[in-house]
Parts: sequence; structure tokens; C-alpha cells
Amino acid sequence: MSAFFDVAHYDGQKAVKRKVEVQVVGSQFYLLENERRTGPFAFSDVAYVTKQGEADVYGLVGHDGWRLILSGPVPSDLKGLLPAPRNYGGWVDRLGLGKAVIAFALTSAAAIAVVLFSPQWLAPLIPDSVDDRLGDALVGDFGGRFCHTPAGDAALQKLVASLDDAPQDLRVEVAKIDMLNAVALPGGNVILFDGLLKQARSPDEVAGVLAHEIGHVREKHVMQALLRQMGLAVVLGGVDGNSGAMVNNMLAMSYSRNAEAEADAYAMKALGSANISPVGTASFFDRLSQLDGSAGVVKDNAGITGYLSSHPLSASRKDAFEKSIVKGKNYKPALTPSEWAELKTMCTQDRKAKSGFGFDFN
Amino acid sequence: MSDEQLQPHSAFRFHGSWQEFARIAFPNLLLTIVTLGIYRFWATTREREYLWSKTDFIDERLEWTGRGMELFIGFIMVLLLIGLPFFGIQLVSQGLIFQGAPMLAGLLTFAMFLSLFYLTGVAYFRALRYRLSRTYWRGIRGGSDDPGFQYGLSYMWKWVVGWLPLFLMVPWAMISLWNDRWNAMSFGPHRFSANAQWTPLMKRYLLFYLVPFLFLGGAVIFGVSMAASGSAPDALGDTGMAVGGVLAVVAVLAFYIIIPLAALAFYSKYFRMAVGGLRLHTLEFAFRARAVDWVLFFLANMAIIICTLGIGYIFMPYRNWKFFVEHMEAYGEINIDELTQSQTVVEKHGEGLLDAFDVGAI
Repeated sequence: MSAFFDVAHYDGQKAVKRKVEVQVVGSQFYLLENERRTGPFAFSDVAYVTKQGEADVYGLVGHDGWRLILSGPVPSDLKGLLPAPRNYGGWVDRLGLGKAVIAFALTSAAAIAVVLFSPQWLAPLIPDSVDDRLGDALVGDFGGRFCHTPAGDAALQKLVASLDDAPQDLRVEVAKIDMLNAVALPGGNVILFDGLLKQARSPDEVAGVLAHEIGHVREKHVMQALLRQMGLAVVLGGVDGNSGAMVNNMLAMSYSRNAEAEADAYAMKALGSANISPVGTASFFDRLSQLDGSAGVVKDNAGITGYLSSHPLSASRKDAFEKSIVKGKNYKPALTPSEWAELKTMCTQDRKAKSGFGFDFN
Repeated sequence: MSDEQLQPHSAFRFHGSWQEFARIAFPNLLLTIVTLGIYRFWATTREREYLWSKTDFIDERLEWTGRGMELFIGFIMVLLLIGLPFFGIQLVSQGLIFQGAPMLAGLLTFAMFLSLFYLTGVAYFRALRYRLSRTYWRGIRGGSDDPGFQYGLSYMWKWVVGWLPLFLMVPWAMISLWNDRWNAMSFGPHRFSANAQWTPLMKRYLLFYLVPFLFLGGAVIFGVSMAASGSAPDALGDTGMAVGGVLAVVAVLAFYIIIPLAALAFYSKYFRMAVGGLRLHTLEFAFRARAVDWVLFFLANMAIIICTLGIGYIFMPYRNWKFFVEHMEAYGEINIDELTQSQTVVEKHGEGLLDAFDVGAI
């Protein structure tokens, strides 16, 4: 039994368009052109290529450029033997557009949720040795920028020990860099910049900032942030350019704001148990808020600046630290005046330490 | 557009409609969003399938046979082979800066920049090759056996030569690279030959090149004459202020309108010269869009995007292709019997490199 259909055909060898008849024999077919017969070809080798206007175009596996062009309504006998037209692509065609959209949306939401939430319990699982090695690789001797004097080191050690129960797994250093900043890095590394020490008006202020950075270390925020950034980069890798980077930053920032708040809470607790007054830290943030211009929106926690900056507003942090003051408690200064003077001038005294960030080779 | 009436015998014709394209573009947008961008490779493929199938060359439609999966694989390859190593290099060089070896970090960054520069050239070449190898006409396709690694080197040194003499040789670099690229391409059994000239471009290029200097000169002369007449604009009171204001507005407008106009005038000439120098066996090509057409085209694009609050952006592939096809022209004859299948290699992956660097078509 065989059936015949008229179709247009290119053989893929020459650009000549042929009018041929398809002769169907079981699961195979022949092409007839005048007296010439080619084939047999298996229907299982036929692949859908594209739609050209009203015509469906089919190719043959392994035959470059071989085409059957069926225009108009395809007879149902033949249609059953040919592969289904492709529209959106494999999965979407199989599911249907509506269901596919829902399935993709759920998958994407799940992927983002995993990336955002898993670092919190993944970070503690990363062995300390990895964390330490990463810290060593990243920090090293900081290009010789760490300042040391016997008295200054002792003062710093005292400060760390008063704020943390296990100071031996922390490495706190002062770097000769004139920036009003401090950072927590992998491997328990905390770096206070000399600019911060110079600006601080009391050892209590430094204690607050240091306690905050130790909070980052103890809450494993650094590793969490690293994992989260890597995960977001992978998940949002498909989104092109700017929009991906923007979404990424927004998500990462909302989480780093959380982390800052956690570190602040940790700092208040550490200051409390060390019997150091949070007043100094509050006044430090008060001065910072004059710098970052958030003084005008003190009460507006959800203000636009608060959302877009990775740190909570300095002004609102000041309020939080002020509230943590326990009235009537007998606070003692974090360091004695002479210890404080040694710490503050450590970088000025240590002439061997390199300064700045630039290309200053000696 | 009324081009069809003006040029009834154009070898290239476009039959698409934006309503039909919308039925492809909107589901594409939806699917791209819910897949966090991953669907965009399939989206691009569907759009090209439509645009190609609505484009007639002489008496037969074009056919796009590229697949979304190919583009996706290309993207993944770039991510693994280039993205990941570069991410690593960036980390290492940051570490090096921390560790006090900024010189080494600088060298590393420079090497990274050089290899990116090289790969951009390779990417341009391979994108053109990919597009030709997936474009069929009468069952015949194009392609190239050149992998484009040599072209990457030409790309580097020719652009450097173009920039070195105060950017004056840029037209030479552009045309020379266009010729290099197309001379390596073929369609069917025939090699393209590209002999575009760059010297006719220089007048337009100098116009574009000199516009900023003319403005600067104008401003200086204005300032000097004001000073010479012993009165700054504000000394003339309100009218002086008004004159100054108007002049400032004119200067800003000039900067944002005249410089882009000059750039478009140059680019339209460049594209006409480049396409005009192209031959395929007995066929010659021409691109008929003049500077005015380009200006109107861009203004319309901007209007569409602004009036639709950005959604119109999804129609840009349609608009670009339509503009391109409607201004393309071919002369000469084709012997269909001589047009046999291309023997060039077919790469299994798509425009990964180009996609990653986000550079435009043709």
C-alpha cells in the first residue's frame, strides 16, 4: 500500500528547486521526480526545521540542506508520520506555554531561595582550614602595612581579649592606611585602619567598632557573603548585563544590611559583658551620620538611603547603641589613658610599616 | 516605508509584520523573565527563524537553522573557559594588591585586558561565521573553514594602528577588518570577496572628528571676544544672562545632537562603502540607506522605546532586521546549477563569545 503527495524539495547538493512526489511505503518514503526515484528515506530521520510563511519545512538527519517543503494543509495520513512542528522549543511545546511559565517561575524562585538562604547553614560547614587559608591568601602581611609596637600590641590584645572569649582564633591588626574604616575578612582576620584610630575620641569608640567586626567573624558573615555572591552570580548568570548586576546587588545588599544589624547586636552584647559603655560607639556613629548625610532622616528607618546603602543608617545605629546603655551601670573605660595613647600612635611610632595603598615601592 | 515602490526589483524583500513579531516577542519576554534569562537563547532563535523566513532573496525565502541549545552551549563555554579563569585572575590580582605586589597585579590585569581584546576580535569573526553557516537559501548554506584565531591578531594590531595617530586611522581599521572578515567567508561553493575602500570615508570621519574641536574653538572665541569687549555676560545684566543661558542650551544640544548626527553620517557612509565592496561570485551587493535614513530610523526607535516605556525594546531586532533587508540590494546573476552545497565545517556551538561581550551584529 502506498500514497503519493506533491511537495517542493531541495536535495542539499544543488540550489535547484524540485517538484517531487512523496511515495509513502510503511515507515519509509521515496521521492519521485519524473522517472527518477530516490530513497528510501526513513520517517524517523526526518526533522522539523522551520516554518516559512504557511509552509512547514522538514530536513533529513545527516543530509545538509536536504529539504521537504509542505505548503498548505498537510494531508492527515502524512502528518501522522512527520515530526511535530517546533514552536517555543522542546520543553515549552510539551508542557504548553502556560504550564511551562508556571513551572519555570517556581524553579527560578526555588533556585533564588536556595542561594539566598543556604549560605546561613552552609557557611558553618566550611572547614576552618579552608577559611584560614583563604584569609592568609587574601591578607598575608598586607604588604607590610601592619603597624606594631610592643605597647600598642599589648593594648590591642587587651581590647580584643575583653571583647571575645577565644581571642586566639582572631587576628586583629592595625593597618597604616588613612581611611575611616575597619574590615572583617576570612580566617578570623579583622583589620582596623589607622584613619579610624586617629579619628576616634576614646578607646570605647574603637571597642565598639572592633566588637562589630568580631561579630561579623563570629556570625560567619564573611563566608556567607562569599557563598551568596557566588551563588547569585551563577543563578543570575543568564540575565544579561546591567539588570542582572542590579538585581544581584539589591539582593546582596539587603542581606548585608541584615548582617550589619546582627553584627551591631553582637557588638552591644560584647560591650555589655566587657563592661564597656556603648556611649562612645553611639557618638562615633553620630559623627559618621554627619558625614554620610543621614542626620536629617534620623527617624526614617525605611528611607530610600537606608534601603540602598549596605550599612544601616549611621543615625539609626546611633539610636540603637544609645538605647543599649544600662542606666546606673558602672562602666569602665576600655583602655587606660596610656594604653589608649600607645594604640592611637602605634602607626606613627612604627616607621617600618608601609603606608597607603599606592604603588609605593621602597 | 515606501521603499518597495521605489525599488520594485530589489533582490531582497521583507514580508514580516510587527503584529506577527509581537506574538513571538511577548511570550519570549515572559519566558525569559521566568527562567532568569536562560530562555533568551531560544528567544533569539525564534526571532531569527521568523525574520529569516519572512525575507525573500530573489525568489526563495531565507531559512535560519540555528538552535537555542547551540547559543546556550556557546554561552556556557564562555562562562567556563573565559568567565571563570578571569574571575580567578581578578581574585588573585586583588590578593596581590593586598599583599603589596601591585606591579604584578597590574601586569596580570594588563594581560587579562589584552586577551579580552584578542577574544573580542575572534568573537566578531566567529559570530559572522556562525550566522552564515546557519543561513540557508534553496537548501544551500554559507560558512568558513577559518577558525578566526588569526583574525583576532589582525583585530588587535589594526585597531592599535587605527588609534595611535590620534584616532585618525580608525576608518582604515574598520574597513580593513571588514574586508578581512568577509574575505574568509563563503556561501555555497563561492568565496566572498571584499574590497571596500577606506579613503572615501575620511571626509565624513574628519567631520565627526572635528566637531568637538569646532565647539571648543567656538566657545573659546566667544569667551575671548567677551573678555576683549570688556564685559562678561553678566555685566550686561538680565539680557546678558539670557544670552548666556541660550548659548549654554545650544552648546548642550549641539553636544547631544550634532555629535551623534556626525557619527551617524560617518557610519552610514561606512556601511555603504563596506557592503558596496562585497562580491559573491557574480553577485554584487549594495546598501542604499543614506545618513537621513539612519537618522530617521534611530529617531523612530527612540520614540518607540520612550512611548512604550521601554517595552518597545523587544521590537528592536525586528526593526533592525527590517531596516537592514529593506536597504540591501544585490546585482548580477546566479547560476542555480553552479550553486552547490558548502563544504565548510559546521560548529556545534553558537555565538557564545559574541554574546558574552555583548557586541552587535554584522
